[in-house]
Amino acid sequence: MIDDETLDRQLRETVPYIDDDGFTARVMASLPAARRESGWLRAAILLGLALIGSGVAYLIGAGHGVREGIIELANFPIWLLLVFAFGCGLVVGAFAVIFAIRKTPEVRDLTRLEF
Amino acid sequence: MELTDADLVARVLADEDQHAFGELVRRHQSSVRGLLRQLTRTDIALADDLAQEAFLRAYKNIRSFRGEARFSTWLYRIAYNCFREDARRRKELVGVDEEQWQSEQDPQSVDPGLRHDLMHALSLLPLNERTAVVLCCQNGLSHDEAARVLEIPLGTVKTNVLRGREKLKRTLAAWAPN
Repeated sequence: MIDDETLDRQLRETVPYIDDDGFTARVMASLPAARRESGWLRAAILLGLALIGSGVAYLIGAGHGVREGIIELANFPIWLLLVFAFGCGLVVGAFAVIFAIRKTPEVRDLTRLEF
Repeated sequence: MELTDADLVARVLADEDQHAFGELVRRHQSSVRGLLRQLTRTDIALADDLAQEAFLRAYKNIRSFRGEARFSTWLYRIAYNCFREDARRRKELVGVDEEQWQSEQDPQSVDPGLRHDLMHALSLLPLNERTAVVLCCQNGLSHDEAARVLEIPLGTVKTNVLRGREKLKRTLAAWAPN
């Protein structure tokens, strides 16, 4: 009588690889359509950002118009403008990192987040 | 660098990336279809229909995969559930049909090659023992993983594997020359 180890080995060796032969294509064709982010949401985000930008421009102009505001901004001390530019860079960079982590599984694995 | 199953699952979860799911199907189609062919006793058409249903369910319920077990184990569990539901519908899980099927088999008609003998001997086992042997001995799942796939106690899996192995050895010994 054959032993357990030989039997298990024979069993593993009897498993044939089954060629795909169009199986994956059939499965993919049966999947429900992927949900796409709706167009109105994108439009709302763009419109919202445009409104915020307009509001900021108005505030910088202190109600005197964007052109006057930019002229006033040019009179600011250089160090203050540098700090402002650095702050803007940090905010944009932070958003970029968050987006990259959200979209990239490899990075997400490194951060040990559950999924 | 080849992405792991976990990476691909993450892509499906994040972006409903169907290409990533397609890669998972390509990787696991052979083992899932092989398992179902064993369970359905080499009824290839039925096994493939069940495999397709299993992958479709996996896609729809992929959010319930938490990465605690291997993706293949989770997939086997879905495939086994598909088989069980289908068998229930066909009333094939009752012992009478098993015995009747076994009595209809003629060992003399089997191909003399070892592979064919083994496959035939495997198909003669009762469903619970066959399933346990296929998962643990053929597909390399641990007893614990098989218990999770089959949703039965660990001790029952061990017993079924042991009994299945003994029967296979006896059957193969009887068919051996001399």
